[in-house]
Amino acid sequence: MNEKKMIKKYIPMTETMFFILLSLQHKHHGYGIMLHVKNLTKDRIILGAGTVYNSLSRLKKDGLIRTFSEDDRKKTYITTELGKKILKVEAKRLFELCSSVKPLLEELK
Amino acid sequence: MKTKKIVFFPFFKRVVPSDFENWLEKMAADGWHIDRVRQGSSLIMVFIKGLPKRYRYVYDLRAIANKDYISTYEQFGWQHLGKMASVNIWRMEYSGNRPEAFTDKESIRGRNKRTVFAISFSFILTLLASIAISIVLIFFPFIISADEKTQLIAAAVVLAIFAATLGAIMIYIHKRSRQ
Repeated sequence: MNEKKMIKKYIPMTETMFFILLSLQHKHHGYGIMLHVKNLTKDRIILGAGTVYNSLSRLKKDGLIRTFSEDDRKKTYITTELGKKILKVEAKRLFELCSSVKPLLEELK
Repeated sequence: MKTKKIVFFPFFKRVVPSDFENWLEKMAADGWHIDRVRQGSSLIMVFIKGLPKRYRYVYDLRAIANKDYISTYEQFGWQHLGKMASVNIWRMEYSGNRPEAFTDKESIRGRNKRTVFAISFSFILTLLASIAISIVLIFFPFIISADEKTQLIAAAVVLAIFAATLGAIMIYIHKRSRQ
């Protein structure tokens, strides 16, 4: 039930949301997410503090991520089962996009 | 040489968040610094003369600023100068690329939306108050004395001017943020 609602709300995902949720397959704190995404996208996406905070509070409120640990004011987060499910739905969608884009690229060569 | 600069109603001419940020940045480039922001800063700001610095300021209006919020910004190297009304002011010194706190369309729009929302809230309040007073004046003039009447008319006019100003600011920010 909740899953359907979240699929409707999150899919298709913005790039920012997708990369944050993807990063949180492993535990990270806010700044760690930024570094991870920066690395993954070879400096193309450099997330700002406000953007990361907004996304984390939204994902947490909707139950897609949870607090993993908290020490010295630094909280780390990780995806929940629901978060993983949503990420999988999005990944499938992206894969579909990818398959339709491939022949197009060859055609336009 | 002057060592202090006092600015009254700093928001008055710079109602759009990015205009306010750019103004603070320009002040810092000219060596005028503000190290603390307090409730009263929306009415009066005191800048102290120092060395010119390249500071990026960020204006972030939030009703709730919990410790996760502060901690996230601090991890990224931002310094919290304080809060006036619900506006948090952040600062970071930089040399290369100008740092940004909001990096996607959604959160940039969200920041402006929160600002317009806060202003529309006060707009509606002042508008309702002036309408309420006008209703009393027009439909129930017999329940108030002549003396009270002048006072109420004055109050209604002041509130209406306030509402009109807030309304204009609201539309201005909304238009600017769509560009």
